[in-house]
Amino acid sequence: MDGLDLLKKDWDKESSKKKLSVKDIYPMLHKKSSSIVKILFYISLAELVFWVLVNSLPYFTSDSYNERLDLVFQNDYILTGLTITSYAIILLFVYLLYKSYKSISITDSAKNLMESILKTRKIIKYYVLYNLIAAGLSLIIGFYYALHNTPNTAIDFSNISDKKMALIIFVITLITAIFVLVIWLFYKLIYGLLLKRLNRNYKELKKLEMD
Amino acid sequence: MTKELEHSFVELLEKHQNIVHKVCRLYTNNYDAHNDLFQEITIQLWKAYPKFRGDAKFSTWMYRVGLNTAITLYRKSKRSIKTQDFQGVEFKIKAEYYDDTEEEQLKVLYKAVHQLNDIEKALVFLYLEDKDYREISETLGITQVNARVKMNRIKTKLRTILNP
Repeated sequence: MDGLDLLKKDWDKESSKKKLSVKDIYPMLHKKSSSIVKILFYISLAELVFWVLVNSLPYFTSDSYNERLDLVFQNDYILTGLTITSYAIILLFVYLLYKSYKSISITDSAKNLMESILKTRKIIKYYVLYNLIAAGLSLIIGFYYALHNTPNTAIDFSNISDKKMALIIFVITLITAIFVLVIWLFYKLIYGLLLKRLNRNYKELKKLEMD
Repeated sequence: MTKELEHSFVELLEKHQNIVHKVCRLYTNNYDAHNDLFQEITIQLWKAYPKFRGDAKFSTWMYRVGLNTAITLYRKSKRSIKTQDFQGVEFKIKAEYYDDTEEEQLKVLYKAVHQLNDIEKALVFLYLEDKDYREISETLGITQVNARVKMNRIKTKLRTILNP
């Protein structure tokens, strides 16, 4: 007898076992899900809140930060423009995330379901990437303005020799690189653990198509 | 309204619960993990239930949600308490009904099926449930040809395990 035929015979007999009553099932409906989509949703929510806070907290809480901002951006239009753009981008990401969460459907085929989850994860990735790039750019621009536009620091830096300047730039680059690396590793770990199974199964389905 | 919905859902699930048990049986190998997956599939079924339209068969709809939860959404339970293996328990019970060789063969077969990867298990599951290749391909999102080819490979694999 074929292996699977033997299994089938047993499989059907197996059906009658392990009965749960209606009473057993009711409480199950109200338990909390631990599905990866739910966890992904919470992570993306945390990301949104975290970066919005990082961007706006100093603006609201620190007077000296505002003074410096005013000093750097003497042109008010630039500052307003930048603020509006950054919030517009956040809103765009919120919209994209909402849309992609809506498209995740458990009744889809396995492959489509996996693809829509991976797409959502990609949007979160782009959001983080955007924030990192924006943070990096504002660091560089801030540094540039500090060198050229602020009278105090301009004097300070003019006294520094080329050798020391090179060292300062090297140290700043190194710190930025370590910072980016730590964040990158952090994400690799979180999403790696969360989506390990999904990625493996998605690859397996893709492999079937290649054969 | 919610109460009515809940009631109709629980009744349907109670009637068709074996489908979920069978999915759990393939994808887990101990009692706690089985219950954990059963719980998660139930939540997913319940969440999707308001969108369930009567034109599809409840059981067919369950296959999809159950397999998708097992393959994609479910994270293995952290409580991996080592309890008695399912097979062990079942085969002790069955010993009275089956002759030794068949029992032994089944034991080996279940072990082999458990070693397949998640996608292969899904194929075996749908095959054991008498689903045709059209339904298998639609459930997994692969072509019928690919489903057939893969299924044949799994059959060969299992045959070799059984008759080395």
